[in-house]
Amino acid sequence: MKTKAAILRARNTPWSVEEIELDPPKAGEVLVKIVASGMCHSDEHLVTGDLEGATAPLPTIGGHEGAGVVLEVGPGVFSLAPGDHVVFGFVPACGRCPSCASGHSNLCDLGAITATGLQLSDGTSRHHDKDGNDLTLAIGALGTFAHHTVVHEASCIKIEKDLPLDKACLLGCGVVTGWGSAVYAADVQPGDTVAVVGCGGIGSNAIQGAKMAGAAVIAAIDPIEFKREKAMEFGATHTHASIQDALAALPETTWSRGFDKVIMTCGVGNGDVLGEAFWLGGKRSKIVVTNIHPVGEASIAIPAVFLTVFEKQLIGSLFGSGNPRKDIPRLLELYTQGQLDLDGLVTRTYPLEGINDGYAAMNAGENIRGVLVYEHD
Amino acid sequence: MGAARTCRAAVLRGVGQQWQIEELTVDPPVAGEVVVQWKVAGLCHSDEHFVTGDMVPPAEMLEAAGMPPFFPVIAGHEGSGVVVEVGPGVTSVAVGDHVSASFIPSCGRCRYCSSGRQNLCDAGAGAMQTGQISDGTVRHWLNGEPVKLMAKLGTFAEFTCVSEASVIKVDADLPLDAVALVSCGVATGWGSATKRADVRPGETVVVVGVGGIGINAVQGAAMAGAKRVIAVDPVEFKREKAMEMGATHTFASMEEAFPMVTEMTWGQMADKVIMTPGVMYGDMMQLGTALAGKGGTIVVTAVAPITQTESSVNLFEIAMYNKEIKGTIFGSLNPRSDIPNLLGLYREGQLKLDELITRRYTLDQINEGYDAMRQGQNIRGVIVYE
Repeated sequence: MKTKAAILRARNTPWSVEEIELDPPKAGEVLVKIVASGMCHSDEHLVTGDLEGATAPLPTIGGHEGAGVVLEVGPGVFSLAPGDHVVFGFVPACGRCPSCASGHSNLCDLGAITATGLQLSDGTSRHHDKDGNDLTLAIGALGTFAHHTVVHEASCIKIEKDLPLDKACLLGCGVVTGWGSAVYAADVQPGDTVAVVGCGGIGSNAIQGAKMAGAAVIAAIDPIEFKREKAMEFGATHTHASIQDALAALPETTWSRGFDKVIMTCGVGNGDVLGEAFWLGGKRSKIVVTNIHPVGEASIAIPAVFLTVFEKQLIGSLFGSGNPRKDIPRLLELYTQGQLDLDGLVTRTYPLEGINDGYAAMNAGENIRGVLVYEHD
Repeated sequence: MGAARTCRAAVLRGVGQQWQIEELTVDPPVAGEVVVQWKVAGLCHSDEHFVTGDMVPPAEMLEAAGMPPFFPVIAGHEGSGVVVEVGPGVTSVAVGDHVSASFIPSCGRCRYCSSGRQNLCDAGAGAMQTGQISDGTVRHWLNGEPVKLMAKLGTFAEFTCVSEASVIKVDADLPLDAVALVSCGVATGWGSATKRADVRPGETVVVVGVGGIGINAVQGAAMAGAKRVIAVDPVEFKREKAMEMGATHTFASMEEAFPMVTEMTWGQMADKVIMTPGVMYGDMMQLGTALAGKGGTIVVTAVAPITQTESSVNLFEIAMYNKEIKGTIFGSLNPRSDIPNLLGLYREGQLKLDELITRRYTLDQINEGYDAMRQGQNIRGVIVYE
C-alpha cells in the first residue's frame, strides 16, 4: 500500500515527508494505522548524528513513540487481531529470551536487531521510497513518523480501546522511561531527596515518578524557566537553573547530606555534566543515567574515589528499567485514575507535515512534548 | 547525683483490673541512664494487651522459668518528654533535651543495630522483665515494692529513669504530642507499609484494622504511591478517618472487601495486605492471605495473644501462589534514623500527625481513655501531663 512518512536522508538536514510504498506484513508482523507519535529527543539524535553507529543507516523513517490500530496481521500472530489498539514499545519484548524471562524485557535480545533498522523477523525491509529503494526504521524498528507501518508483534502492546491514542503514544518511550528512572532504577522511597537534571519529556516524568513514590524533596534542574515552572506542576519542590545552583542549595534541600537519588535526564548526556552532577549525590546515593550520551564519548569526569568511600552508585537505565508489557498498561491505568498526568505533557500537536516545526520548537525549549497526530480518512 | 524523686503513675496490678494512680519513687540514674519527665503519652493498644492478658505470660510459665510475678506494671511506651537528669557516661542527650521514647531500645552496637535492624536491638530482650537495661537492678518503687516498666519506659508515669538507648533526641521546636505519636504507632504503621510491605507506586494495598497503627499504614501506603489503599474496619468513624488519611476505598469487613477487591483488580487481588487489627487472631489469616494475589505479601503487625499457636493459613496457597507472610515490629524501621525522619516529614507537611489525636486526657482520666478506645471512639487518645 501507499502511505506517507517523514524520512531522514542525510545528517543535519530537515525531515522529508514523502509518499512511500509499504509491503504487507510477513509472518510475526502486523500492519498498523498510526494515530499519534511523540516527538522524542532520541529522534533528534539521528539528525545530529549523536547515535551514529547505534541506529539504522540512512535513508531512514524516524519515530519510535507511537500508538495506533492494527489493520492486518501476518501468519503466526496470535496475540493481536485487526481492530486492536496498540502502543509500540520502543524496545521489543519477545517474552522468551533470558532478559525477558528474568523480568528485564527492556533489554530483550531482539533489541540488538533494531539497530539495523530492518524487520526483526527476517532482516529485510517492508518500507520503500517511491523509487523502490529500501528504507530503514530509525529507532526500535518502528517508523512512527508515518501514517502506517509494519512492525513485529513483539513491539506491540495491546491496550484498552477507550484510551486516547494521542496520549497513549507517550507510554511507548518518554513516560515509562522517566517514571521508571525514578521508581525502578533510582528506587525512590518515601522520604527520599531526589534531584532531576533536565526537565523535558523524560525529566518531567521522572519528577512524577519520584513524587508518586513519596519523595520528600524533588529538586528539578533546568536552564529554561518554562520547564522549571512545568516541573513544579509535575511535583517538584525546588527548582534550580543549573547544577551549580543546586549544589549551592544543598544545605537547604538536603541539610548538606546530598541527594539520595540523582536522575540524569538532559537532552544530551555529557561526561563533564555528569561529573558535575555526581557531586549532588550523598552517601550511598544512586545516580541514574537515563539520557543518551554520544556514542563516541569515551570518558566521564567522575572522581571515582567517591564511588568507594561514599558508596555512590552509578546506574544506567533503559526504558526506565521497566517492562513494556507490564508498565505500559499499568501507567495508562494510573492515567485514567488521575494519578499520572499525561495531558500536561503535551505542549503542542502537529500534523506529519509539521514535523520540522515541532523539532524546531523542541530545540528552542518551547515543548515539554510535541506530538504528531495523523488525520486518516 | 540527684536524689530520688516521687511522682504519680498509672499502675496495673492484674489482668482485667483498672489502672490505679499511685505514688512512684524513682531512684537517680546510674551510668548510661537518664531521668525523663514525660510530657505526652500515647494510649496504645499494646498497653491494653496487659489488661486483657494477651501480652501477659501465664503465671505457670513464669513460675516454671523461675521468674517473679508479672504485676505490678506501669505501662506506657509511646511518649515524649524532657531530660531532667543524666547519669555518668551519657553523651547523646543532655538535661533540657526533648526526647522521643523508643519502645525498642537501640544500643547502636549489637549485631542487629549494626546491620540496619535497630528494631531488633538485643537490648530489647528483657522488655517484659522488671529491672533496668543497664544492670538489671530496680529504680522504680511503689511504697518499697519493685515495679516493672512497660518496655523499660513506663510513660504512664510523670518521671521514669530509663536507658540512654531508649530515648532519641528530637528538635525542640516540634510539638511533643506529635513526637509521642511517632515514637510507636506512627512509625509502626507507616513502616509496615513503606518498609516491611515495601509498597511501590501503582500497587493495590489492603489495610485490615484502622486504629492508631492501621491509620498510619494507610498514610504510608498512600505516600508510597499505592494506586488503591483499601481500608477495612467495622467502625464507621474509623473508615471515614481512613478516607481522610489517603484510603481510596473502605469496607466494614474482610468478607465484604473480598468480592470487591476481586472485582476492582480484575481478579488479580492485592499486592500487599497489612494486618493491623486491635488484636490479631489466627482465624483472620484465612481471608487476610486470600486478599493477596499471586506473589503477594501479607504483613502481620498487630499483637496476637501470646499463647495463641494456631492460625488458619492455607499453605498450599502460600506455596503455589508464591505468597509471603512477614512479621514486623516497629514497622521494621530504625528508631534513631526514622523517628527524626518522620518528624521531618511532619514539619514539611507531608505526614499528618495532628489529625491522629482524637482526644486528650489527664493521667487521672486514663481509664476513661481506654474505655473510649475499646468502644472504637478514638483513633488515638493521648495523656498530656500538666
